[in-house]
Amino acid sequence: MQVLLVEDDQSLASGLCKALRNEGFVTNHVALGKDALHAVSVEPPDIVVLDLGLPDMDGLDVLKRIRASGSQIPILILTARSSIDARVSGLDGGADDYLSKPFETPELIARLRVIERRLSSTKESAIQVGEVSLDTLSRQVLCRGEPVELARREYMVLKSLLENCGKIQTREQLESRLYSWGEEVSSNALEVHIHHLRKKLGTDFIKTVRGVGYTVRKP
Amino acid sequence: MKSIRLYLIIALLSAVTLGNFIATVYGYRQSSDEAEALLDTQLADTAALIRTMRPARQIVSPPPSERLAFQTWSSDGTLIQRSANSGLAPITLREEGYRNENFEGYRWRVLSVFDQQSGQWLMVAERIDIRLELIDNIIMRALLPIVLSLPLIAAIVWLVVGNGLSLIGQLANELRTKRADDLTRLNTSDPPVELAPVVDAINDLLRRLDESIQRERRFSSDAAHELRTPLSAIKVHVHNLKQQLPENSEALQTLDRDLSRLGHLIEQILLLYRTAPEHYQAKMQELDLHKLAQTVIGEVYDDIDRKHQTVSLGGTPQTIVGDEASLIILMSNLILNASKYSPEGASITVNVDREELGIWLGVTDSGPGIPITEISQVFDRFRRVGGDRHDSAVEGVGLGLSIVRHIADLHHANISMQNNDDGPGLTVGILFPPDMTVATNVGKKSQ
Repeated sequence: MQVLLVEDDQSLASGLCKALRNEGFVTNHVALGKDALHAVSVEPPDIVVLDLGLPDMDGLDVLKRIRASGSQIPILILTARSSIDARVSGLDGGADDYLSKPFETPELIARLRVIERRLSSTKESAIQVGEVSLDTLSRQVLCRGEPVELARREYMVLKSLLENCGKIQTREQLESRLYSWGEEVSSNALEVHIHHLRKKLGTDFIKTVRGVGYTVRKP
Repeated sequence: MKSIRLYLIIALLSAVTLGNFIATVYGYRQSSDEAEALLDTQLADTAALIRTMRPARQIVSPPPSERLAFQTWSSDGTLIQRSANSGLAPITLREEGYRNENFEGYRWRVLSVFDQQSGQWLMVAERIDIRLELIDNIIMRALLPIVLSLPLIAAIVWLVVGNGLSLIGQLANELRTKRADDLTRLNTSDPPVELAPVVDAINDLLRRLDESIQRERRFSSDAAHELRTPLSAIKVHVHNLKQQLPENSEALQTLDRDLSRLGHLIEQILLLYRTAPEHYQAKMQELDLHKLAQTVIGEVYDDIDRKHQTVSLGGTPQTIVGDEASLIILMSNLILNASKYSPEGASITVNVDREELGIWLGVTDSGPGIPITEISQVFDRFRRVGGDRHDSAVEGVGLGLSIVRHIADLHHANISMQNNDDGPGLTVGILFPPDMTVATNVGKKSQ
């Protein structure tokens, strides 16, 4: 997996290069926006890690130019700006993810792994959380190695929770995945699906966050 | 307090009165001299008239008027003719000219004339008291309007001074109605010459104030960048160091903790600075507080779960007019505070509900609560409950609630804090007033 790091702070860049290489990423580093654009056009990396505060041009412009050139390379933005606005404009500009400085290095690596997994989803289609694993290709769910039969909507709820493991999925988010526009949703339909999933996977696997939604804890 | 208006009115009226007084006195004296001269001429005319009257049979004739008297003497001193009110003695010297004389119980103005043709002395007299009365009447008529006009002048001075000063009043009014965060120029167009320096000075002051605030804003965002980037670099290097060492040394773990404390402090200071009402540029819009609470709980869930605490959200969807970015900070500060100061396994309850006085956002924890005596102080900057004796295992710098207060102020919301009645724990509540909860004129409220 080849990563292009665009960061003008030399110390941070050298540290990051080392950390990413330790994790097995092939990492190249440029300090200027124009060099980044050049590198992307000449030898496209698999992932771009882009700092927004570059000396020669705004990182958001780099982002927009890469997207304008038709490239779909995943871009993760690093920035010292942390306001909600900067976040929104970064994601609107076509960034895939966003990390505010100062960040935890393992967090950056985890996000890059997520992007990596998405890029290679054809090869690695299984999501494993604790004793439950879900294969997105064969649609097979295993619990403690035993196959579990799930209805279509139960499967979709589980998939959504596993993909966002560690985060809360709100009722709304889950329901929007289950039902298309205008489809009648009975008020306790989601609870019924969760109830069935708990019977099949164990009562503690899916946690309720009352008033907010559901979550699957990271192992 | 000194009043310019009162000062001007008193000064102007004094000047006008004094001027009028001097003019009146001077005018009186001038006019009375003129009138005297006029009456003297009249007396001479009367003398000429009497001279043309040849002596009749009677020597004594009735006076032409009560105020006039006359005598005619021959050159040898014989009384030829006289008016009845003039007596037998000569009423003046036989010497030509005007003199004042006393006879018959009055004071008279007397003219003595020698007629060359007849060789006779003619003496004509006029009563001075009547003359003076006459003169006074004439002068009074002339001077009365000046005196009478004083009240009119006073009224005009009052109005003119008031009108002139009303420009200062307008300026004061504009300054008074200016919002505290409005640093635009005064729009007093074309101020009078005297006020122009004041308006210019105020505008100059506003401009400099605005510049310094802008500079501070820039500083805060520059500082954010300048502090966060090196901190990130240090963190990465520490991470790399950890990878190289065979096992996590205690020193590295301490370093890691200190780094996250430093990072937290920097973030909180920047937040505190940025949310200060004089710096924050709120984007007020309609939003659902309940839904926002869901989002925030989702964002901070990691931290809560790490302490094996439970969180729940109660209440119903409530629309308020607020600034989303700062409300997210407010809620996550409150929820994380609740988590931080509660033990492992504690439960945190967030509530969004409509109450009689507005919309209520409450965060309740099951921690130790806060001693009553310290409740009023926890919103002070860098204040932590228990002071330096605070359990140092809990990270924090004591800025969180100051930030919460800033954001609440931004929304004109009230903060309350009380220990729970039914068991341990603390409830922090934010009450958004009804005018921030009504969905009217939302469009206009932006900016």
